[in-house]
Amino acid sequence: MNESDERMQAALSKAQAKQEAGRAPDFARVWAGAEQRVASRRRRRGMIAGSVAVLALAVVMLMPYGNDIRYIDTDELLETTSWSAPSDSLLPQHQFDIYGEIPVIIESTETYGGALL
Amino acid sequence: MRDSDVLDKNPHISRSALEAIHSQVFGWALSRCDYDQTVAEDLVQQAYVELLTGKARFEQRSSLKTFVFAVVQNLARSRYRRIASRLRLVQAAGEQVADEGFHPAEPDESKMLWDTVQQLPQRQRDIIELVFCRDMTIEAASSVMGVSTGTGRVHYDRAKKALKAKLSERGTAR
Repeated sequence: MNESDERMQAALSKAQAKQEAGRAPDFARVWAGAEQRVASRRRRRGMIAGSVAVLALAVVMLMPYGNDIRYIDTDELLETTSWSAPSDSLLPQHQFDIYGEIPVIIESTETYGGALL
Repeated sequence: MRDSDVLDKNPHISRSALEAIHSQVFGWALSRCDYDQTVAEDLVQQAYVELLTGKARFEQRSSLKTFVFAVVQNLARSRYRRIASRLRLVQAAGEQVADEGFHPAEPDESKMLWDTVQQLPQRQRDIIELVFCRDMTIEAASSVMGVSTGTGRVHYDRAKKALKAKLSERGTAR
């Protein structure tokens, strides 16, 4: 910093001090306000967490259970001869008859050396 | 540093250390919000909240003053940007009205200098204020402004040149 800078600095410091003179609020007051904000923020968060917990508990308690459990109808399931997996929808022919797909077993009645051919 | 003074969430900061720089921090906050007392007080209080909650954590990578100034700067940038622009509009309107009615015969020299600084672009104004008025090095001032030291140096040089030019213009005009 050269002499001219120093002169400018001195003048500016003076000007700035004049601008801000006596304007700074009491530290203790600002600090107390900050602490109050932190405390109220904590309280608010606690209240929100409490409300969420109560809501979750209410949902769990009011959830239907026991009698309303549904089972698969066994007869209906046994009568079904076709089934498709959700991913099969991507295939061009996504349903197939499970009986139709069973390969035909060629039976032989001819024997050779005591065993069926 | 007294143990009882130390902030729970910020072990490197004490209440007394903050109290020692409080007026400087407030001055910086004032200049961040166009010298509005209420907004500046709110800004400083919010900065203290950030320190109390540990959201802004001081790791001793700079001086405490530089750190707190940077916290104020960041808060002002994010939270008070809109408020500040509204205030500027309101103040600009107010100044127009005031200019019409009041013309001091002998302009105050320091006020004239201050007004000249206020006319500089934001970054130049900030670095001049931090270095000249808040006794910071260019490095610390750059860190507060969130720019590299090289960029800070460029702003500083340009600011000094612009300020000298403006002052000599005013000098010759009178």
